Amino acid sequence: MTAAVVPGLETNPLREGLDQERVPDASCLVIFGASGDLTQRKLIPALYSLAHDGLLPPGQTIIGYARPEYTDEAFRMAMREACEKFARARPIDEAIWENFAKGLFYVQGEFGEPDGYQRLRKRLEECDQSRGTGGRRIYYFAVPPLFFPTICEILGKEGMVTDPERGGPYTRVIIEKPFGHDLQSARELNRVAVMTFRERQVFRIDHYLGKETVQNLLVLRFVNGIFEPFWNRQYIDHVQLTVAESIGVEKRGGYFENAGITRDIIQNHMLQLVSLVSMEPPVEFEANAVRDEKVKVLRALREFPAGREEQMAVRGQYTEGSVLGESVVGYRQEPNVDPNSKVETFAAMKVFIDNWRWADVPFYIRAGKRLPKRVTDISIHFRPAPYPLFAKVKPPSNILAIRIQPDEGISLKFDSKLPGPTVRTAPVTMEFRYATSFGAEPPEAYERLLLETMLGDSTLFARRDEVETAWAWLDPLLESWAGDGRGPAPYSAGTWGPEAADLLIESDGRRWRRP
Amino acid sequence: MSGDLARARAGEEMAVDYSAIEKSLASLWRNEGQGDNALTRAALWNVVAHTTDSRDHSQASETLARVSEAVPQRSIVIRAEMDSPPAISSWISANCHRVNGNKQVCSEEVAIVAGGERVRHIPPLVNALLIPDMPVAVWWVGDLPNEDHSYVETLLDVADRLIVDSARFDSVDDLVWLRQIAERTFTAPADLNWMRLEDWRVVTASLFDALSMRRRLPRIRSLSVNAAGSGQGLFGESIESLYYASWLMAQSGSTDIDCSFQLDRGGQDGGLAAVRMGFDDGGEATIHRDTERDVLIASVDGSSQTFDCVTRVRGRGVDRLIVRQLKRPESDKVFVRSLPLAMQLAGQVRGS
Repeated sequence: MTAAVVPGLETNPLREGLDQERVPDASCLVIFGASGDLTQRKLIPALYSLAHDGLLPPGQTIIGYARPEYTDEAFRMAMREACEKFARARPIDEAIWENFAKGLFYVQGEFGEPDGYQRLRKRLEECDQSRGTGGRRIYYFAVPPLFFPTICEILGKEGMVTDPERGGPYTRVIIEKPFGHDLQSARELNRVAVMTFRERQVFRIDHYLGKETVQNLLVLRFVNGIFEPFWNRQYIDHVQLTVAESIGVEKRGGYFENAGITRDIIQNHMLQLVSLVSMEPPVEFEANAVRDEKVKVLRALREFPAGREEQMAVRGQYTEGSVLGESVVGYRQEPNVDPNSKVETFAAMKVFIDNWRWADVPFYIRAGKRLPKRVTDISIHFRPAPYPLFAKVKPPSNILAIRIQPDEGISLKFDSKLPGPTVRTAPVTMEFRYATSFGAEPPEAYERLLLETMLGDSTLFARRDEVETAWAWLDPLLESWAGDGRGPAPYSAGTWGPEAADLLIESDGRRWRRP
Repeated sequence: MSGDLARARAGEEMAVDYSAIEKSLASLWRNEGQGDNALTRAALWNVVAHTTDSRDHSQASETLARVSEAVPQRSIVIRAEMDSPPAISSWISANCHRVNGNKQVCSEEVAIVAGGERVRHIPPLVNALLIPDMPVAVWWVGDLPNEDHSYVETLLDVADRLIVDSARFDSVDDLVWLRQIAERTFTAPADLNWMRLEDWRVVTASLFDALSMRRRLPRIRSLSVNAAGSGQGLFGESIESLYYASWLMAQSGSTDIDCSFQLDRGGQDGGLAAVRMGFDDGGEATIHRDTERDVLIASVDGSSQTFDCVTRVRGRGVDRLIVRQLKRPESDKVFVRSLPLAMQLAGQVRGS
């Protein structure tokens, strides 16, 4: 039963004008897989940083659920150590931690045994009484996808899922990627999720969407009036997106052998970036309105030509080399990697969005491991001037570059006349850097995403049809690669990928931008 | 001029002809790309600090140097000395800091000292020195000069924001003028004393986030505010308390709250120490400052559940308050809404 709100007090009027105008109601956030790396490196530090900044409601409660035996106190101590290492807000503030830790609890249990869930339910009900969480639940699945069906099923059977539309407080569930391995498995995961939860209760985290610079893409395009008139095939020659990592697979060799860079980066992060760069203006800044437009982009992606996929996509695998001055081993020599592996650690694609705005404008995208440096970068390459007024001047390519990470910012490259009696030009850039202009360190992506879940705003989360449409587009390519015995082309660690990646763009008379 | 650049980056002030300040600044930076590629100039605001004596002038200059690390700006520090001989002199310098390891980001600072009747030349001179298309904040250091509105208003012609510190106000007339500026001009008034209150507003808002508590907001019947000041009965030291009460009344829509104020000895600027709210159901909410841990702790007794809200007290230093103020691009409607009520409540403050 939802309590009636006094007219005029639907929101807290004392919040007006404060940094945080919306503060969620206190809830119980249950982390399944609380003994894992994600909880310690990202989730608890993010929650503590939110508390430090005064963004968590009083009474907010966090319950860790996992197999190992811990007392509440031992769990708090382990989480404190994690915050000391990984929280943005460091050093730890004793008074804030003390209050935050009062809301930290632990329940031991197996993911597949109802006993543990009964203990969890009891603890949740106690917290509702003592901490004012009002039956509101957020379940965070920080566990491999194979556990999703079991957890969903038991939560449903134990009556631990409620919904305001059915007269109860809210329950929300946060799911971490990978959202499936292919279209079929993604559909199966989604089917299992919606057996227990409604789609609006499901929050699929793609942490790229929590990054300030990714959100700034929408601000850049739709708040400033100057860009949108040029943001189409008439003025844009092509677009490049690069997600480069200097690290290899590190301890994730086992996972990566089943994924590859295409599933790990392109299917989610890069297609999110492509959508945000190319989507139409939404009718309002609201979750479904924004995601409707993103899905339209994904639906308009041109299919890979059957049997001629190499014209549109190339893959590579790093061999030994040197990155940032250090010698590194090849992918096949990494721990937990098959010495004959054909998994791609690099992929580059030429992508077309077949709609009125983008017809025949290529989007060149590439992602890879063991590239020369860590950088995520989007560049919009404009068409040259239509007529060369200055005979000796080569028409420049104006580039609007958006640096997602690191050293976040935006730059515009254009030509300027060199001082002197003759007309000679040189490229110059106008630069905006977040660190220079705004100084303060932006919040971690997980902080923003956890807060948005508590507030119930799913704008920054992937919707079911987004995930499935992305898989539907990539599946034929992945199947073709799986059946192609040639495997990925080798490239030396510390280079920008295999030669075929250069040929992919150079055959169109263009070159990769050096980000 | 590259030697001048090095001196400016080291914080040294260089005397320049006041009629050619912009030219001197341009000349200063001309060689920046040649010797030091990692140097970046940045500005998000024009900040004009107005002072009337050398002590305030040097403090304002030091404050804005710290502010520029968080909000890059062109700082123009004015010293208007009506009793000095008629003359104008000016200096330029640079405020530089490092970001992301190596990159050095610099903001410019211009100092202008005018005496006697030449003080009248300050507003047009400032006008010529503003970076185009960047907002302008005038920081009035000290009490507002009630005897000379026209001079201030000329300076405010170009200002998007007027920043004052009401802790230094000497009468309610200053609040009245602030309200008039909000009502009659395009300049948005802002008060550092209001910014000092923000932690108290946050923790009070936290108390009323829960729906059960939000329903009780219109049912506040009494409010007791304790603050700590110098004990000299200065009007400015009472304003933080007045703002708190007027904000609570304005935002809750309850103007029939019985307010009492107590200003005790033991503080510097009238900062709040404790607040007690009484509800019509007999319940009570309290907020107090834990000075040892430097946090605010709020709790609710009576019929509702009890849990603590803990909010870290942020710095009350002027530089931090100005940074927070400049990071808000829009005018503060809540502040403007609270001002008339604060004026009505003035006079109810008791001292010990």
